[in-house]
Amino acid sequence: MSKAENREGSSEALSLKNITKLYAGTVALRDVSLTVRKGEVHGLIGKNGAGKSTLVGVISGLVPPSSGEILLDGERFSALTPVVAKRHHISIVTQEPQVIEESTVAENLFFPGYLGGKTVINWKELSVRAGEILHRAGLELDPEMKVSALSVSERQLLLVIKACFVEKAELIIMDEVSASLSRRDQRILYEIIRRLTREGKTVIFISHHTKELLEVCDVVTVIRDGRAIRSVRREELDLQTLAALIVGNEDFEARERDDLSFMISDEEFFSLQGFTSYGRFRNINLSVCKGEIVGIAGLRGSGRTEIFRSIIGADPLDSGTMKLCGRELRFSSPAEAAKEGIVYLTEEREAEGLIPIASVRQNLTMSILSRLARIGILNSGREKETATRSIDQLDIKVASQTQEVQQLSGGNKQKVLVGRVMEQRPKVCLLDEPTRGVDIEAKDSILHSINHGFREDACALITSPGVDDLIKICDRILILYNGRIIDEFSRDEFSEETIYRAMQGEVIHTDENRTRDGKGSGKAQTADTGRNIESGTAEKDKVPDHRNNGKTRTEKDLKGAES
Amino acid sequence: MKRSTKIQLALLNNLVWVMVAVFFLLNAVFTPSFLSSRNLLNILFQSATLGLMVLGQGIVMMVGELDLSMEATLAFAPGLAILLGKAVGLPAFVCILVTLIIGTAVGFFNGFCLVKLKTNSFLLTMSTQIVMRGLVLFLVPFSLAKLDPVYTFLGRGKIGPLQVAVLALVIIYAAFEFLFRKTTVGRRFLLTGGNRSAAFISGIRTERVVIYAFILAGLLSAVAGLITAGRQNAVSNNMGSGLVMMAFAGAILGGCSFNGGMGKPIGMLGGTLLLGMLDNALTLNGVDVNLVSATKGALIFLAILLDHLRYRLTAWIMHRENIRRLMRSVEVEKDPAGTRTEGGQLN
Repeated sequence: MSKAENREGSSEALSLKNITKLYAGTVALRDVSLTVRKGEVHGLIGKNGAGKSTLVGVISGLVPPSSGEILLDGERFSALTPVVAKRHHISIVTQEPQVIEESTVAENLFFPGYLGGKTVINWKELSVRAGEILHRAGLELDPEMKVSALSVSERQLLLVIKACFVEKAELIIMDEVSASLSRRDQRILYEIIRRLTREGKTVIFISHHTKELLEVCDVVTVIRDGRAIRSVRREELDLQTLAALIVGNEDFEARERDDLSFMISDEEFFSLQGFTSYGRFRNINLSVCKGEIVGIAGLRGSGRTEIFRSIIGADPLDSGTMKLCGRELRFSSPAEAAKEGIVYLTEEREAEGLIPIASVRQNLTMSILSRLARIGILNSGREKETATRSIDQLDIKVASQTQEVQQLSGGNKQKVLVGRVMEQRPKVCLLDEPTRGVDIEAKDSILHSINHGFREDACALITSPGVDDLIKICDRILILYNGRIIDEFSRDEFSEETIYRAMQGEVIHTDENRTRDGKGSGKAQTADTGRNIESGTAEKDKVPDHRNNGKTRTEKDLKGAES
Repeated sequence: MKRSTKIQLALLNNLVWVMVAVFFLLNAVFTPSFLSSRNLLNILFQSATLGLMVLGQGIVMMVGELDLSMEATLAFAPGLAILLGKAVGLPAFVCILVTLIIGTAVGFFNGFCLVKLKTNSFLLTMSTQIVMRGLVLFLVPFSLAKLDPVYTFLGRGKIGPLQVAVLALVIIYAAFEFLFRKTTVGRRFLLTGGNRSAAFISGIRTERVVIYAFILAGLLSAVAGLITAGRQNAVSNNMGSGLVMMAFAGAILGGCSFNGGMGKPIGMLGGTLLLGMLDNALTLNGVDVNLVSATKGALIFLAILLDHLRYRLTAWIMHRENIRRLMRSVEVEKDPAGTRTEGGQLN
C-alpha cells in the first residue's frame, strides 16, 4: 500500500462531481461526488442496492449518468463510454467472472489483443508470456490449461491478473472480486494490490467485508441510499464506525428477529438423500423439520442454485431421493413440483423471475391462476384481492396494480417475486437469494415475511448473498462447498466470521471419524480449493455431510451418517 | 399520471383502431361507393380468411414463436379432407370435421416438434410449409371443383343478408377476445410469451402452452381453408399462397410483437380490417392489381415502422412520466428550499 506522504503529493486519478442517475422507478445515485487520488486503494462499501454497482457502471462507462460530470486526467466528461474508459486505462473486474471457458488460460489472458497487431498468433510465445505473468503474480497455473477446468476463485483471479498486468490499466475497479475467492487466492489478490500501488496505480476496491476493506484500502467511501455518505481515511476508521456508516444509524433500524422456534416440530418433513448431479453437486443429504428455516451458505458456484433447480425438476438429477412427509417424490418440471407444494424463488429475478411486460397483478398471481378461476374463467375480483393482499403485506410500492412490473425498482420487483411465492402457500419453499440486490428496508421486510410466512405446515430452505441475512432468520445453516455439504451450524453457534470461513472450505467442526489425508482432527484445515475436482482426487476424500459436533442434534446426525 | 398522458397511452395501445378510423373516414369522403352497406359487408366478407390467419399468427406470436406453415395448411387441410371424402365416400359434415382434424394435427406436429427438438420455429414451420404445399400440388394437380353445399356453407352460405363467413369471423374473434381477457389459458399464453423461462419456473407448463398455440393456429388455418374453398366452390392448389405474410402484417398492425407476450384479438381484428379496407379502396379507385400488391408491401413496412414507433413512443412517455415523478421526490428531499434547479439539467 502506498505511503501517506506519497498520496499527499499525487494528483487526482478520477473525480466525480454531483453525479445523479435516475432509472425508471428509482433514484440510483443522488448527487454523488467522489475523488480518487492516484496510487491509492479506494474502498467502496454499502449495502445491497445502495448504488455501488451503478457507480461502478458510471466509472467504467457502462452507465451514462443523468446529470453531473466526470473528471478524468484533467478532462471533463458528462458521460464515459467503454471506449473512452479504455483509452484512459480504466479496467474493471466484475463479480461474475467473464471468461471464455473453452479457451486456454493464456488465450483468456491475452484476448482480444493477443500480442499486438500481428495477424498470425504465436501460440508458443503466448504461453510463455502467460506463464511469466502468472508466476510473477503468484498464481501457479498451467497456461495451456482450459479455463473450464478452473474453479470460480481461480477464474476470478485470472481476470484480476489480466486487468492489472496484461491490459496495463492505471485505474482498476475490482467489483466484489474477493467474494468468490478462496482464502489462498485472497492473499494473492492482496499481494497484487500491494504491488500495483507500489507502481503508482490506482485501485477502486468494492467489497461487502468491512474487515477486508480496513486491511486493504487507504480511503473508504461509504455509499448509502444512492449517496456518497463519507470518504474516510483508514487511519480514522475502525470496524464499528464503518458499520454505523454503512447501516446509517439515523433513519432505519432493522426489526429484531421474532423467535419462532417453537413452531418447529420434531418429525422430519422434507429430506434429500444422496442427491447427486455429476459436475454440479453430489451426495447431498439434508433433512428439514416442519416449521424450520434452514440456510444454505456457499460461495458463488458452490451449487446452491443447482440443488434447488434439480429439486423442482427444472434441471436433471443423476441419483438420489427426495421425500416430503415420508412420500418419495421426483419431478420432471416445476409445474409438477408446484402441485406438490414445492416452489422455488429464483435468484435470476429478471431472466427467470418476472414477466417484465406483464402487470404487477399478473406477476403476483401467475402461479395460482387455477385457484383464482372456476372452470378456467378467472375471477378478476378475487385476483385483485389477492394482489392487494400481497402488496399490503410486503409493502410493495406501486403506482397501480396494472403497472408493468419492469417499471418497479429492484427491491419492489423482488417483493413481487416473494409475494408470488407466498401466495402459493408452499409446503417447501426454496428461496434462492431472496434478498439479492434489494435495499435494507426491503430486505428487512422480505426477511420478516419469510420468517413468518413459511413456517406453518411448511419449511423453507434459503440462500443469501450475505451470511448476515441467514444468521438473521435461519434455525440452522448448512455449508455448501464445491457441491457438497461440508458443515452444519445450529443457531447457538452462529457467527458471521466462522460461517464465512467455513464457506471458503475451512473445516470448523472436527470429527473423530473423519480421516483426511491421514490427518486427524484438531487444527482447522483448508479443504481442496477445487482444482482437484477435475482430476477426481476430491471425490476420494469422503466428507460426511453432517458432522457430529458433539453438542447438539445427535438424532439428526444419525440420519446423516446412514448414507 | 396526467390525464393527457393516459389518453396518449390509450391511443398508442389501440393505434390500429385509430388508423382504421382515419382510413375509413378518408375513404368515406374520397372513394366512390365505398360507404354503401354492400361494399362494407363485402370488405368484411373478403377479410374473413385473412382475419382467421391473422388471429392464428397473432396467437403464435403471443407465445413468442411464428408459424409460416399456416398458408399451406389452409390448402392442405381441405384438399386432403375432400380427397379422403371422395375416396372413402364420407358425408360432407364428416369432411368438415376431417378438415378441422387435419388442421389440428398439423398444428400439433409443429408445436410438438418445436418444444421437443427445441429448434427455431422459423426453420421448422418453413419445412412443414414447403412439404404441405408440395403435397397439395401433387395431390390436387387441377382444382377440386363443385363441392358439397354443406361443405361450402361456411364460405358461401348466407343468413338473411349476412354471409355466414362474416358471422363466423365475428363469433371466433369474440370467443378469443374472451379467452385472452378472462381465462387462465389465455393468461398463460401471454405470460409464456412475456418470459418463457420465468413462466416455466413459476409452474406454468410452457411446452404445453406453445403446443396449444400452434394447434390453434392450425385449426384456424383449416377454418380459413373451409371459408376459402367454400367461397370459390373449389379447392385449388395455390389457395392461400403468400397469405402468411399478410397475416404477419395484420398481427403486427394489431399490436403483436415478435418478442411475444403482447397482442389482443380486438387489435388483430383492426389490423385485418385495415388490410381489407386498403385492398377494397384501391380496387374501387381503379388501381392496377400489381400496384395493389406493392401497396400492401408498403403497408407491411409501415406496420414494422409503426410497431417500432409505438414501442419508442410508449417508452418515451413512460420515461418522461417517471422522470417527472422522481424529480419531484429528489427535489423535495434534497432541496426543500428550491435553491438549485437540477430539473433543467435533466431534461
